[in-house]
Amino acid sequence: MNGKLDFKLYVITGENYHPGRSMLEVMEAALKGGADIVQLRDKDISKRDLLEKAKRLKDLTAKYNVPLIVNDHPDVALAIDADGVHLGQDDMPIAVARRIMGPDRIIGISTHRIEQAREAEQAGADYIGVGPVYATGTKPGRQPVTTAYVSEVAAEIRIPWVAIGGITPDNAFEVLNAGANRLCVVSAVVGSEDPEAVCRRFIALIEARDGSPNASVESKATGIFVTVNGRRSRTQASTLLELAEQYELQDRRVVAEMDGEFVPRRSWGEAPLRVGATVEFVHFVGGG
Amino acid sequence: MKDTLSSDPLVIGGHALDSRFFLGTGRFPSPAVMQQALMASEAEVITFAVRRINLEEVADDSVLQHVADRGYIYLPNTSGSSNADEAVRIARLARAAGLGNWIKVEISADPRTLLPDPIETLRATERLVQEQFIVLPYTSDDPILCRRLQEAGAAAVMPGGSPIGTGLGLLNPYNLGLIAEEAVVPVIVDAGLGSAQDVVQAMELGASGILANTPVAKAQDPVAMARAMKLAVEAGRLSYLAGRIPKRRYASASSTSEGSLYEAVMAEGKA
Repeated sequence: MNGKLDFKLYVITGENYHPGRSMLEVMEAALKGGADIVQLRDKDISKRDLLEKAKRLKDLTAKYNVPLIVNDHPDVALAIDADGVHLGQDDMPIAVARRIMGPDRIIGISTHRIEQAREAEQAGADYIGVGPVYATGTKPGRQPVTTAYVSEVAAEIRIPWVAIGGITPDNAFEVLNAGANRLCVVSAVVGSEDPEAVCRRFIALIEARDGSPNASVESKATGIFVTVNGRRSRTQASTLLELAEQYELQDRRVVAEMDGEFVPRRSWGEAPLRVGATVEFVHFVGGG
Repeated sequence: MKDTLSSDPLVIGGHALDSRFFLGTGRFPSPAVMQQALMASEAEVITFAVRRINLEEVADDSVLQHVADRGYIYLPNTSGSSNADEAVRIARLARAAGLGNWIKVEISADPRTLLPDPIETLRATERLVQEQFIVLPYTSDDPILCRRLQEAGAAAVMPGGSPIGTGLGLLNPYNLGLIAEEAVVPVIVDAGLGSAQDVVQAMELGASGILANTPVAKAQDPVAMARAMKLAVEAGRLSYLAGRIPKRRYASASSTSEGSLYEAVMAEGKA
């Protein structure tokens, strides 16, 4: 799984931060804003309710081609065909979780010290959480590990890792400067009035840190996420034709399919690109 | 002799074909060699596959640019599908490209043998016939399955001689002969052929035609093999039409013994 796991902005559910709005509504806004991996965390409900919630969230993340991770419960993760499970230091060992989850699913684990990070890497974790960087209401009473730990991990750990804990658009640059290239957020996104906008802001900050071209933070914060030929990518295109032009396909013998439906070439210009759309550009190759 | 063949067209889905040799377009060393092999084969029906564009590659690597405007009948396959839903989706995309409505159903459920999934192949054939495709399913060499595919509306059936690309030839000539004998639509032997002799054998068993790709594309000289197989198709077809002698256990002299200079000796020998 390691080779395949790639993400920038990891958003975790936190329903207590958005009373009056449904979890699915808030998470859909986050997905539209560019969250590219999602975790279901709810420690206060029965397993039966968790299972129901997980099923619905899985349907939503599948629509956006984004992996879903279930916190704490390998059985729930498997039952709803989630992409992986996230463990804490007090949960079952990674080796045991791996036996349950099989070789292909994602296993992540929270770490608070470099020793735990090394151990997780050794044990075959697919990613680790690194935090809490700052004090956070999600984990009250936990001593922040500060950006010092972020720098330690950046220098040493080779599996994907993500900084977490009290990260906001205002302090994100400190975390990114300490070496992070992925951020995990709960309250700053799901507690916001506009989770989509906050996610765009985070993505822009991360990409600016990446040294992506066009690093002006505000201009990068536009565009939508779509999946093109199986790859999730951001585009400024608003129609299928503009997307085809972005890949210089407009003059080639190419057939396009959007969300499972064939789109004739003459209609590409009038086919609006939906947020989270799945587009396939195919052609003919040698075959028997 | 020429007349025997030219008055013997192969009719599939209402199209009369002069050539009984279908050629695949995969795995050739270069587009130029493929074009020469296509010419040498005199094939009228050519196959290819549907794949995702490589978005990092700006150059046009579509196979069509090398074969367009030559009057070929295009037979796209559904390779890469592992069930009927996926095959139907690929077929629709291929037809949407505007290259006709022929489709080779190819549904592999096993990566090692690439053998066709009979259940899903039948399902896909039924659905694609409903959608007005001319359907040529690549199928196991099973006579009953071939019958079912015909009942489902297949325009031809394409039983495999052996697994794709193996060159093992015809592993079950008995079945293939039975399929050809009972078929009410053309039988195109597809997959597993190794060289011209396998082609002749298939045609003599009563196949209406053959489809080859790997044995031509990966031959030392693909253009020469294309020609060899074209000739083998013709030779095998003529041989089949001409009607072979029955096999017998002992010799039967080509000349009568009457008037033999040594008639007495032979008679003595017999005694």
